[in-house]
Amino acid sequence: MRRGPVWNVVLALIVLFFVALILLPFWWVISGSFKIPQEIIARIPTMIPHSFSLQHYEKLLSGSDYPVYLVNSLVVAVLSTAITVVVAIPAAFAFFRLSFPGRETLYRIILLAYAFPSIVVLIPLFGMFAKLGLIDTQAALVIVNVTFALPFAIWMLRSFFGSIPKEIEEAAIMDGAPVATMLRRIMIPLIAPGIASVAIFAFITSWTEYVFASVVILSDAKRTVPVGFSGIIGQYQIDWGLLLAGASLAVLPVIILFALIGRWFVSGLTEGAVK
Amino acid sequence: MQNSRLLSISFVAPALLILAAILGWPLISAILLSLQDVRVVGSEGSWIGFANYEKILASPVFWKGAGLSLAWVVANAVVQTALALTAALVLNQNFPGVNVAKTWIILTWIVPTVVVVMIWRWLFSTSGGIINPLMMQIGLVDRPVGFFSTPWTAMATLIFINSWRWFPFIALMMLAGLNRIPADLYEAARIDGAGAWKRFTRITWPLLTPTLGVLAVIGTLLSFNVFDIIWLLTSGGPAGGTRTLPVLIYELAFKGYRLSEAATVAVLASLILMAFAVVATKSLAREGDAR
Repeated sequence: MRRGPVWNVVLALIVLFFVALILLPFWWVISGSFKIPQEIIARIPTMIPHSFSLQHYEKLLSGSDYPVYLVNSLVVAVLSTAITVVVAIPAAFAFFRLSFPGRETLYRIILLAYAFPSIVVLIPLFGMFAKLGLIDTQAALVIVNVTFALPFAIWMLRSFFGSIPKEIEEAAIMDGAPVATMLRRIMIPLIAPGIASVAIFAFITSWTEYVFASVVILSDAKRTVPVGFSGIIGQYQIDWGLLLAGASLAVLPVIILFALIGRWFVSGLTEGAVK
Repeated sequence: MQNSRLLSISFVAPALLILAAILGWPLISAILLSLQDVRVVGSEGSWIGFANYEKILASPVFWKGAGLSLAWVVANAVVQTALALTAALVLNQNFPGVNVAKTWIILTWIVPTVVVVMIWRWLFSTSGGIINPLMMQIGLVDRPVGFFSTPWTAMATLIFINSWRWFPFIALMMLAGLNRIPADLYEAARIDGAGAWKRFTRITWPLLTPTLGVLAVIGTLLSFNVFDIIWLLTSGGPAGGTRTLPVLIYELAFKGYRLSEAATVAVLASLILMAFAVVATKSLAREGDAR
């Protein structure tokens, strides 16, 4: 598209505004985590650090349970992601292609899941988990995270199945392949970007989940990053350096994940979900 | 063909079972709970009919919470739509780095809410936060502002923080809508000599409104249910000024030990949301038909 010079300047200014709005807060946190305490609380904050120190990271990694929280969060997030993908693929395929009574009604009901405040579920769920002996286990968190990622995952994958040209599917059926084989060999590779989107969504849902983890997990050694992190906020009399380091480390894994497969997620959101 | 029915069942059963057990059954339990007088999690209660509903509907705290929730939803919708629409229109242009921008704009949404909360608590704080010195330097204020110390500023600050977290996600959904507008429409308009503004009002806006309608529904549900950002930053304070319905539910259940009353508020909140979702999707469908 051709644009005049005025437009270009306006566009550049708007882009700059959004870059600042989104990135500056992160810059302050990450650069702040390397500053010495005196510089962090300086009356006039410094844009570019004058000091460099790893003391907050040392304190966080050797003086607190933060490494344990990181591992816990990773375990819960990876398991939640894997289960979500494995359960959502066949379900999405069934909602897309197979015929069974009540298909459309069930599909609509599933999407209604996001209409309820998740707090509503929290109260009875706590009682249920207590009866089943699941309080203070990471299994409980995995179950909850899978549940909250599933409706989105099914919706997303169904629309990806819909974008596969019908001829490909028909050719496979003509070859006499059973449905399960056809799904595994032909359909799944074709919707790989959709699966990546769903995996990222499930991972992020799990990695950022705070409310359930704060209620269901009781012992310090089983806490996930969000809960452990909010514990650190209360535990020490606002040690900003420690918090900034903790925040930086909590952001790091999702940034790495996103750097690897983030563009699939975005193209999944903007191009795949056309229905 | 029986074979295929069996196959369908085995394909959907795991997903349906999980959803029924972890969402469906608790929702029913919440309704049952609202008809009893349970106070603490796990204890037994007796059936008291609609007494909780009478009590809650007569309680000013509930109505204040409902009002705050309404204000919260509307303000978030306005701020997020303004930011997201601008961002989506910009991302729909061609400029160096646009693909990188499309991927990383969502950064605010992929970090844990506790981190979002910490970032902004620090930036807004009166000691070491960047925002107060900045505002003083520009001359907006002459002494540091305690953003979380009055109900109105706390609410406004929370709305800003929540919008900051969510607008990139909404922007990408809008971008999806923009991508669906056929490029030859713009080409034809250009040949007819239509300027940028005219192309926006005659093509982009009308063709984007269905997407905006759907997003308005989804966005309303999403922001109504926001709990953790509010709880972690203000716990509903000061003076209950940010105690929206989800915060009230949590407070009643886990701080006030009035589980059944919490369930009652939860059921009422769900009814409001359901009614909204049904009416909104119906009117969207009608508008779609009229087109």
